[in-house]
Amino acid sequence: MCLGIPMQIRGIEGYVARCEAKGIERDVNLFMMQEEELAVDDFVVVHVGYAIQKITPQEAQTAWELYDQMLAAG
Amino acid sequence: MTISANQWLDRIRSLPLERTVRIMNVCGGHERSISMAGLRKALPASIELIPGPGCPVCICPEEDLFEAIQLALHEDIILVAFGDMLRVPVNVKKCDARTLEQAKARGADIRPLASPTEAVKIARENPETPVIFFAAGFETTTAPVAAMLVEGAPDNLFVLLSGRLTWPAVAMLLESGDAGFDALVAPGHVATVMGPEEWQFAVDKHNIPAAIAGFTPQSLLAAMYSVIRQIIDGRCFLDNCYPELVREGGNPAARRQLQQAFHVRAANWRGIGIIPGSGYVLRTAFMQHDARKHFPDYVEDARKRAGEMPPGCDCAKVVLGKIYPNECRLYGKACVPRNPVGPCMVSDEGACRIWWANGMRQPSPGKEAQANG
Ligand code: SF4
Repeated sequence: MCLGIPMQIRGIEGYVARCEAKGIERDVNLFMMQEEELAVDDFVVVHVGYAIQKITPQEAQTAWELYDQMLAAG
Repeated sequence: MTISANQWLDRIRSLPLERTVRIMNVCGGHERSISMAGLRKALPASIELIPGPGCPVCICPEEDLFEAIQLALHEDIILVAFGDMLRVPVNVKKCDARTLEQAKARGADIRPLASPTEAVKIARENPETPVIFFAAGFETTTAPVAAMLVEGAPDNLFVLLSGRLTWPAVAMLLESGDAGFDALVAPGHVATVMGPEEWQFAVDKHNIPAAIAGFTPQSLLAAMYSVIRQIIDGRCFLDNCYPELVREGGNPAARRQLQQAFHVRAANWRGIGIIPGSGYVLRTAFMQHDARKHFPDYVEDARKRAGEMPPGCDCAKVVLGKIYPNECRLYGKACVPRNPVGPCMVSDEGACRIWWANGMRQPSPGKEAQANG
């Protein structure tokens, strides 16, 4: 339950960001990210629908490689 | 240049290790990565990896689950809970509902959710009906619940909170004098929210090498390399092997919201007992959303005392790293994921389920047996 997933921001409206990962879009709550400057195209780590931290595109990529393996393994 | 998992393994293998080192990996997510990547087999035999208390579903007090089931069955409400909680059994007579799933089959309005934002949505869509959000989880999950409350929840949304802090369980193990491990790999996403500093106590008070790890085999192996090095060098410190996410002080907004919504006090862990300073409780300012203040308490004192694991289930020992999952006599026999006896076989973060899902089919002679003989 404590695993966050990296997603890319596609649009921001107030505390809600439209985020995308692997072609899947979700609304993500940004209320916990008030101290961070966030813009469209940035990557965030999302846990239970809330962004918990910003990450670089490279880091998002590395994390996704692991999750791909995990998903493939079921 | 990044170092690959294999390069980390080579580095670990080349360390001059003279004795067995037992490393506790606190987090259920870590255990999944370790089991999936087969790290136990890949590492030298002198390195033992012990799954620790990082499964919130496993340690959620039986009385809280029982209360959620009773509220769903007897009150005119909608009960929402993280999907993982729906199949966790409580100890009741055969004819009674053992899980939220069974209560749902008996007509209770119970809905699984994946985010607190869905609880808000359901409450808004049903303004006439109280919605109770049974929120069990560690810091990473409890912080979003706090954010949800601080941002402003609908009047008809109530929280039945069963939030726990992870580090006090490890502190309790270390203080017991019989921790059973020599080094610690600390949870990456908990530290992302709360800051790495929470784990400093292991180093300062107990002289236990510690490293915070992410969820890739690379990050986990880097953390293992770090703690083994610390043992060999006789110099321990708190290493951060997940710097891409874990920053000093954690996520300040999240920590502020946790502070604003909840205070911390001693709390019960299923099968383990009361751990000081390990539970979140709603502050008076948010009392209007506290399910415990607005709905009847169905839990008699007898249940609070007896709130144990199901008969024959060794989950509590598994969670505390005292035994491996396959040392439980029911593992793979009476207890399998399709028909789980205890919570450790229900949750994706439960060590029993992770081991089973990753093909561990052999019973183990046992750590206890090994220690004795
Ligand atoms: S195998 Fe089943 S019964 Fe045994 S400890 Fe794990 S969850 Fe409990």
